[in-house]
Amino acid sequence: MRPKENIEEFVKVRKPDVTTSREMDKRTLDDSLAAMEQTMRAKSADHKPSTARIITLSRMIKLTAAAAVIIAGISFYVHQGPGEQKDTAMVYEAVESPAEIMTMKSLTIAYRRGGIEGIENQCEKALKILGPQPASLSLGDLFNGSQS
Amino acid sequence: MAVSLIGQVNLMVEDNILVWKFNRGSKDALRRIYEKFKDDLLGLAITLLRDRSLAEDVVHDVFVSFSGTVGSFHLSGTLKGYLSTCVANSARDRNRLRSPRLAGPDVVETACCDSDGPIENAIGIEESGELQNLLARLPYEQREIIVLHLHHEMRFREIAKALDISINTVQSRYRYGLDKLRSILNSVVTK
Repeated sequence: MRPKENIEEFVKVRKPDVTTSREMDKRTLDDSLAAMEQTMRAKSADHKPSTARIITLSRMIKLTAAAAVIIAGISFYVHQGPGEQKDTAMVYEAVESPAEIMTMKSLTIAYRRGGIEGIENQCEKALKILGPQPASLSLGDLFNGSQS
Repeated sequence: MAVSLIGQVNLMVEDNILVWKFNRGSKDALRRIYEKFKDDLLGLAITLLRDRSLAEDVVHDVFVSFSGTVGSFHLSGTLKGYLSTCVANSARDRNRLRSPRLAGPDVVETACCDSDGPIENAIGIEESGELQNLLARLPYEQREIIVLHLHHEMRFREIAKALDISINTVQSRYRYGLDKLRSILNSVVTK
């Protein structure tokens, strides 16, 4: 009867001395490298960040995006805000200037359409386009100013 | 003792560096891992399956699936232990698929001798004393644990974790396996 240690030693020292064949090495390495590349491609496709994801993840880009939004907002306000009023006034001017509104022909047409109320409306329309004016301004100055 | 410990630490550091490079997509690291462990793993698969062609397939499949973990592979323990476990698990699956009727230990013993090739039959246990032939007479479960423990230096705890069985089961299979091996050897000697 062999003691346990002897059996263990017997098995240990008789470890099989096996060598892989060249064909096996080639097949295994080729397939393994292909699997590795496939996984890496799949992972890079999965992790390709969208623009929204880049902005969410990067603090620097987040700050830059916030700054860009603020600058765009200010630019919009500066250019578009007052310009809008100006454009509206220009549209009115393009249609009818106060001088044209207050001509005899125009006032006659207004009277025919709405009587005294029509004339009043026509005057109000002219004043609305001109905006608030100094009290000292004469009607003649008003019409001359609007024409210049 | 100290030298052996330093050697083990060096090996672990080397393994960790290889794994680190592998995870970053280094093909060279994968080649080096394969070169480092291929012979040991093939030896394990051959001992377990007793069929070189099947054993080569097992090692091939293990390396291909290992390569598929690039970028997310996490090593806990030794790389050799991990790959040996993969080979052992894959070999067990192959063994089940190959011959479902050989699941029982007693049948395995008979079937192993029946399934021997012409060369293996020619070289009998009595004449060659080859360990492979002796181990082939053990039930698969006992053979697996003896080989993993004695040839691949895996601790019982590691084997238990890898095979998902209790450490007591591992130890008892190991003990029964050694007893059986001893009795086989004694019978060979007395003949």
